[in-house]
Amino acid sequence: MSDQAVNNQAALIEETPFGEKTPAGKEWTKVDKRKPGAAIVRRFVRDRHLYLMLLPVIGYYLIFKYAPMAGEIIAFKDYRFVDGIFGSKWVGLRHFRMLFESTDFWRVLRNTLLLNVYNLVLGFPVPILLALLLNEVRREWYKKTMQNLLYLPHFISWAVLGGIVIAMLSPSTGVVNMILHNVFGIEPVYFMASSNWWPFAYTMSGIWREAGWGTVLYLAAMASIDPQLYEAAKIDGASKLRQIWHITLPGIRSTIAILLILRMGQFMDVGLEQTLVLQNQSVLDVADVISTYVYRVGLQNASYSYTTALGLFQSVIALILVVTVNRLIRAFGERGLW
Amino acid sequence: MKMSGAKRQAGSVWTGANYFILALLSLAALYPLWYVVASSFSSSRAITAGEVFLWPVEFNVLSYRRLMEDGQLFVAMKNTVILTAVGTLFNIVMTVLAAYPLSRRRLMGRNSILMLITFSMLFISGIIPNFILVKFLGLMDSYWGLWLPALISTYNLFVMKTFMEGLPEEIEESAAIDGAGDWLILVRIMLPLCKPIIAALSLFYAVGWWNSYFSVLIYISDTTKQTLSVKLYQMILQVDQSLLTNVSGSEGASQIVLTPEGLKAAAIVIAITPILLVYPFLQKHFVKGVLIGSVKG
Repeated sequence: MSDQAVNNQAALIEETPFGEKTPAGKEWTKVDKRKPGAAIVRRFVRDRHLYLMLLPVIGYYLIFKYAPMAGEIIAFKDYRFVDGIFGSKWVGLRHFRMLFESTDFWRVLRNTLLLNVYNLVLGFPVPILLALLLNEVRREWYKKTMQNLLYLPHFISWAVLGGIVIAMLSPSTGVVNMILHNVFGIEPVYFMASSNWWPFAYTMSGIWREAGWGTVLYLAAMASIDPQLYEAAKIDGASKLRQIWHITLPGIRSTIAILLILRMGQFMDVGLEQTLVLQNQSVLDVADVISTYVYRVGLQNASYSYTTALGLFQSVIALILVVTVNRLIRAFGERGLW
Repeated sequence: MKMSGAKRQAGSVWTGANYFILALLSLAALYPLWYVVASSFSSSRAITAGEVFLWPVEFNVLSYRRLMEDGQLFVAMKNTVILTAVGTLFNIVMTVLAAYPLSRRRLMGRNSILMLITFSMLFISGIIPNFILVKFLGLMDSYWGLWLPALISTYNLFVMKTFMEGLPEEIEESAAIDGAGDWLILVRIMLPLCKPIIAALSLFYAVGWWNSYFSVLIYISDTTKQTLSVKLYQMILQVDQSLLTNVSGSEGASQIVLTPEGLKAAAIVIAITPILLVYPFLQKHFVKGVLIGSVKG
């Protein structure tokens, strides 16, 4: 499937009397102009099998996407399972007030934002640099091999990777501390139990899993740069570094911009599973984020309404961010998300 | 175009350095996995003394034997296979059922339905309302509680819809003129044309199921239904003492005590082996899937 085919497709489209886009030359889509009501019925009957296909799909979205959205109202109630959502008492904004007055809220909000900043500042440039290196490889088998090896961690679950990270960083048996001790004479560092080291270990493990996979789109963008530009630069005597600076990087600028903006859209969220498997009691002051707090306090202590208020706060901010981001994408002259 | 000798040399130094750095980085990406493999085959003494670095020290398979005797990990693996296979099948059927009608531009109300779906992607309802819904539907401790809420990934739906919109319409038209209905067109014409995208999305869905952790953690408490990720992480947090001290009957007198580290390493290796085995065959589909999706996400 290429862009070319999509464009050809677009060229075939024409407007119908009803303003709906239909493929050109399709006789069976042309319906009676004079009786719009009858036309709607006829179109519905004609496509009845398509609507039948959509029935379970719409049911799915209503039950499993929209019902939980409606369920957010328990943030304004004192939810008890026996009373149900409708039977529980309204309490207005009490849970929100409690939230904003609690130190927990500010702690998890700060941690969520901080870990995001680390991920962004340290993690975002890595796939770009990696893609630049891969793009310079001319031997196809070597490039393919390196890509496959670098992609691999992305396909392994955090439960497994978390176990590996903990094993490697263990102060008594981990290989990292062993090297630090034997080569540099440093005393064992409790990476996973120290509030200073934990965010670093967290960020690095995230880079380990995702950096290689993150190169896919950049490499695709680089592959579509006109090779003649490089030829011309070589004739002008430009070095490799100059070619990267003046041709490759400008060539992937719009990809970088879109991915950066998309990344910003997830700013209220950090990977739930990654955080959950890497955190432990001794680092909760830096490792507890909104989603893990909701899980721990909401589900394990059954304070449903209070943590739903927190979740709702997060969702609303995230929605605002996504909408803003989409505006930005369009302002950049790119196609937005909608 | 002619290059001076010095410049050509600088170019090859650059290339050499680049190849070397890449090799180093990919080894760094792989080393933690290798380290676990080496640990899993090492003796408990060597692990405790921190001697394992690159190769197994005092090679043995006791950790594996202990895990096999216990058997729980294999129950978890069987569960994960079922969860993944059925879950992926449901995902693909539902995604096709959604993508095909929505890719037909003539469909009345298409835009309204698309808007309904898009909005659900933007506003993510929190953990608690979803949990209450699953509990209300009586799906706790059942795989249906995992499958049903995750029937469609909206992102994947849009990828497939875009793919179907790009197929040439003439094929479908001629079938319609020959009297084929929508179902026949879908099964006999669209599905064969969509093979590459179905392959790519099946893989994305399957990897998601194979790795699923959090939903299993909150919805499944029945230990006989536990999946690999959850089982494994429980082991990583705390290895059952009975696994460490019991001696297998055949070993007789010698009291062999295992280390938690060795057992965990062996469990991790067992869990990732299936992924490592299929990975080389699937790799090209993964990349293709991402690239098709990026045409218009």
